Amino acid sequence: MKPNRREILKSIGGVIGASGLTFSSPTLVGDDKLPREAPSSSGTVGLPKNWRSMRKIDVHAHVWQSLHLPDADWSGAEDLVEAAETLGIEKLCCSRPITGGVMADTEKVRDANDSVLAAMKRYPDRIAGFCFVQPGNGPAALAEIDRCVDAGMIGVKLYNQFKYSDPILFPIAERCIAHRIPIIGHSGHVTDAKTKASQPNISDSLDFCMLSERYPELLLIMAHVNGGGDWEWAIKALRACPNVYLDTSGSVLESDTIGMCVQELGHKRILFGTDSTMEGGVGKILSADLTPTQRGDIFWRNLQQILDRRSA
Amino acid sequence: MIIDVNAFIGHYPFRKLAARNAEQMIELMDASGIDRAVVSSLHSVFYRDAHRGNEELMEQIQPHGSRFIPVATVNPKYADWRHDLEECVTRWKMKAVTLVPEHHGYSLTDDDGKAALNQIAEYGLPVVLTQRFEDRRQRHHWDVANDLDVATLTTVAEQHPRLKFLLSNWTGLSGTRLAAAGLKGRCLIDFARSHVVLFKSIPRLIETLGVESIAFGSHMPFDYVGPSLVKLANLESLPQADYEKIAWRNAAAFLNVDV
Repeated sequence: MKPNRREILKSIGGVIGASGLTFSSPTLVGDDKLPREAPSSSGTVGLPKNWRSMRKIDVHAHVWQSLHLPDADWSGAEDLVEAAETLGIEKLCCSRPITGGVMADTEKVRDANDSVLAAMKRYPDRIAGFCFVQPGNGPAALAEIDRCVDAGMIGVKLYNQFKYSDPILFPIAERCIAHRIPIIGHSGHVTDAKTKASQPNISDSLDFCMLSERYPELLLIMAHVNGGGDWEWAIKALRACPNVYLDTSGSVLESDTIGMCVQELGHKRILFGTDSTMEGGVGKILSADLTPTQRGDIFWRNLQQILDRRSA
Repeated sequence: MIIDVNAFIGHYPFRKLAARNAEQMIELMDASGIDRAVVSSLHSVFYRDAHRGNEELMEQIQPHGSRFIPVATVNPKYADWRHDLEECVTRWKMKAVTLVPEHHGYSLTDDDGKAALNQIAEYGLPVVLTQRFEDRRQRHHWDVANDLDVATLTTVAEQHPRLKFLLSNWTGLSGTRLAAAGLKGRCLIDFARSHVVLFKSIPRLIETLGVESIAFGSHMPFDYVGPSLVKLANLESLPQADYEKIAWRNAAAFLNVDV
């Protein structure tokens, strides 16, 4: 019988149920020794049998629709949550950056963050929020951080409007230090002319290093090692910056990325992320040559330790 | 059983690959639960004479019995390529032929491309078209090959109505568009860059082109195999017969491989 997409999607959505763990800021997940309901796990050869039930927090996820509006289209968020359930991802750290080279005004930035807040409200156990701000908006950007943190967001998301070595970012960094929240920053060391032209202010490892050297106490995460061009360059250039974390997300799934991250930076600096490449994001951590402890640290524990600093 | 339809043997000039010869590929396959892999020579992409890569490939895989299913690489701009293709098909029994027009300097729609595609169709073999080896954002400055595009693919499909297509490492495929170009029933799409969850491109392709159009592929050794294993695991809720088609039966049937 011909498979029906609706039946397929319904069935894959039911592979794993919600963990039932409660999200209460700032802690995203509980102690990993807590008993958990064991979801069904695949016995597929080549994957650990318990791969679905391995605890995971996705540090790099997005919602894109205007979810706070009355007639919001929730299908994208629903698909995201369904995918997370299927893959055993307990928490999704979501943001909605303004992309496409747009210098968004404060109103548009607030609109984007309101969308994330709506997603957090609808899925309080599954979605955590990162507040997008545009550093060029000056004091309004700082006020937006305060507003989002007060509403329960746990970090700040920056995109490519300004390089992270630009002093215009310094007030943002200082406000995040004050709140003890991380910044996750869009990054890339791109080598093709088309992408270079479309993102002239994209930051690479060296920009992150400069910001980190100025603010060593800043919790700075360089986003998507596999979504920003030459990942070997990016990892090597981070060697000298011990305070910069790196997330594993991106659509590129090239083997040895995770291994090189661990070898060059140490596994405690590596955070699991997908940036919407859900199966790829999980699969490459499963494929990488890691100890169970290293895998657990990357999948969730390292990020949890960052977030725990808020209550320190 | 799993047959991987998107795999290569050899060195890549712009990055060190995790597995570069047949022995290392066997280790990778064993660790990943891959029973057989459809492989072509990466060296054939970059050698002036692509056929030297075919010769190397056959030498490499010979000790490993049926673990590898060899694919020929042909450069229709090179001297006496028809003779080389004949050797691949009749002597070595290669199961498909790959063309890399961006690397070999022609187009699938120019005289060289048409000649190659016509000859492959004459043998009744599928042509293998890999959309890209690497993401363009990270390319070496000597790597100027563009990704193959869907418009060219559908044009070629219409120009060669008897030809079968194994589409390796593609993304952005519309089942509706492929069906309109007459590809339903004569294409096999590896799912290395498609998704079961979230974007759901694999269920959509199944819906429009049929489950017979999808096959397991990983793009190894460029990429981790885990992502494709996760996708396969997410398809376990399909009827067993359909799951097996994606895991291996479609590949075996499309390439006329005994299992």
